[in-house]
Amino acid sequence: MSKVYVGMSGGVDSSLTAALLKEQGYEVTGVYMKNWTEDLPGMKCPWADDLADAKRVAVQLGIDFKVFDFEKEYKHKVVDYMIEEYKLGRTPNPDIMCNQEVKFKLFLEAAIEDGADLIATGHYARVKDGTLLQAVDTNKDQTYFLYRVTGEALTKTLFPLGEYTKPTVREMAKDRGLFTANKKDSQGICFVGKVGIRDFLSQYVEQTPGDVIDKKTNKLLGHHDGAIFYTLGQRHGLDVGGGLPYYVVGKSMEKNEVYVTTDLNDNTLWREVIKLSSVHWINNAPASGEYDIRVRHRAPLKKAQLSIDENGDVTLQLIDPERAVASGQSVVIYDGDVCLGGGIVA
Amino acid sequence: MNEEMIYLDHAAATPLDRRVLEAMQPYFTDLFFNPSSPYAPALAVRREYESAKQVLASTFGAKGDELVITAGATESINLALGSIGGHIVTANIEHHAVLAAARQYDHTIVSSDKRGFIESSVVRAAIRPETRLVSIALANNEVGTVQPLRDIAAVVREERARRLALGDTTPIYLHSDASQGAGQLDIHATRLGVDLLTLNAGKVYGPKQVGLLWAASHVRLKPQIVGGGQERGLRSGTENVAGVIGFARAMELAESHRKFESDRLRNLRDKLQARLVAAFPDAIVSGHAKRRLPGHLHISFPKLDAERLVFGLEMRGVLVATGSACAANKGTRSHVLTAIGLDSSVADGSLRLSLGHLSNDENTKKAADIIIEEVTRERERTRR
Repeated sequence: MSKVYVGMSGGVDSSLTAALLKEQGYEVTGVYMKNWTEDLPGMKCPWADDLADAKRVAVQLGIDFKVFDFEKEYKHKVVDYMIEEYKLGRTPNPDIMCNQEVKFKLFLEAAIEDGADLIATGHYARVKDGTLLQAVDTNKDQTYFLYRVTGEALTKTLFPLGEYTKPTVREMAKDRGLFTANKKDSQGICFVGKVGIRDFLSQYVEQTPGDVIDKKTNKLLGHHDGAIFYTLGQRHGLDVGGGLPYYVVGKSMEKNEVYVTTDLNDNTLWREVIKLSSVHWINNAPASGEYDIRVRHRAPLKKAQLSIDENGDVTLQLIDPERAVASGQSVVIYDGDVCLGGGIVA
Repeated sequence: MNEEMIYLDHAAATPLDRRVLEAMQPYFTDLFFNPSSPYAPALAVRREYESAKQVLASTFGAKGDELVITAGATESINLALGSIGGHIVTANIEHHAVLAAARQYDHTIVSSDKRGFIESSVVRAAIRPETRLVSIALANNEVGTVQPLRDIAAVVREERARRLALGDTTPIYLHSDASQGAGQLDIHATRLGVDLLTLNAGKVYGPKQVGLLWAASHVRLKPQIVGGGQERGLRSGTENVAGVIGFARAMELAESHRKFESDRLRNLRDKLQARLVAAFPDAIVSGHAKRRLPGHLHISFPKLDAERLVFGLEMRGVLVATGSACAANKGTRSHVLTAIGLDSSVADGSLRLSLGHLSNDENTKKAADIIIEEVTRERERTRR
């Protein structure tokens, strides 16, 4: 019987993943990936409690349980990358990087090395013959976070939850009396948690006050505490009061300036053409043509005309313009249910 | 905790006795006054506070005005060690509170034997001419071993006499944290031969965050918390009246039932131990075979992961402690188990079962059955 190492985070999804695979007859080992343990101001990192919960479920299921320590690699590959990107004025997605570098690389390698035939996680996605498919629960689908995983890794990966909706998963966890059945889902970026990216970043970068400038009138509207903390399209957290809401439409990292407007139709807020670099295809690069794209997790799919240049970079010509597509952000490309891959907004 | 749960962790915390709660209740509401206030109702509260301290002190043969009320045992220990200072002699199986406080001064840490027993001769050998304090707990909180405090007190007296003969006025005192012994052992201060004694209400069915330091009249304490000068200036802060009323009631009850309760617990513990050892002949019981807290059983199942056992038992309603490393704190194995020389593969499979008021014949037997089932289940899994 195949040996499966299940990444168990202490949440309901990965708990049920382990339970289902055990029921299907796999020889299951639960693994807690210790990636981040630091407390942040005002928030105790819940890793020890999460680890204990994962272990509780492993005991409940009567499966082996291990802890894989990727703390050093996670800091280097995910957190440092994220901070560097922000310093360049971009908007990175650390969860995508975590899947690419940690879960479907380091974890996979370590599991195989330890005797596993396959790995599994509680992601809402499906794998069929080494291709990545959207989850049955399109509202919960997590393929956006998985587009940088290799087809090779997917041949050794199981996503049993891809066949179910989230409410069904909760029900199934309750039916089985899993310890974590009623545990609340974690929010936001895993290690940043409830603190928010701004408070997290301010641990690593100095807060330097700068000007908030009206893009149209060039008028000084107020001050901010560092352009690094602002993202295209952002509305809140600008200390400019009164009247219509202002939106971030640009920033200069060099001058530490943030440009805003009240004009919802400002051309920088909307993109008809998106250029992607650092393109990754899960299997093979697709032919030019019309595909569906997604610019952020859970965003509705939109039609776009795809073309690939000689460097492998992608140009997407949208039919309806997309709002607030920031550089550094990922755009994922679909052919029907199949997640083909994607790239990072240049 | 619901009624079906079986609680086997009385060494960690005890439920407040209803009679204690009743005694405390008026002091949260009707009798809320600050004992330092000048009007009659406050003075009445002050008198009740003082008389509760008398009662409390009398339960171990001391006087009320020799007590300093603290917020628990840790503070009491800090006050004791902080007042006397170094050189301090203590043992490698002491509670973290003692070890951490001792590390702030010149200190020597003596070793216990494999039973968790500290021979008085080992203490004697560690005493230097400048030693001012020996601090040894009455009973160890992990393996339950009861220390030969009277013998250690004799060693301290000997050293005192030696210094006196030389005209050396350097004082030497014996401090003991008796938190784990109260209610089960004789803690009479004179009979134990100690100069300073720590007690904790939270371990004797009283409120948490209430403790005391008793110091014999010849010992000079130094306040570690200063302010309004309460507790004879030794521990400032408005008196915890309800806490002390509860502590006194709890100690009164503990002392009056002590002989009965310790016999009852020893009987339950011995049966529990016999059942587990019969089921698993390779299980290792730690602590001194005879000199052990009556309600205490420290048992190790070699090669098992105690944390898994705790979780498995918890799911079946049995609450127990493990002194060994948990997965979140790899490498922080219990210093006590390391000190008594338990091999890590044994230490990591250790459970601490501590019985008390909530234990009875029926639920202890049921707990034994469940522990046997869970240990068997884990063994079968690891054998696969």
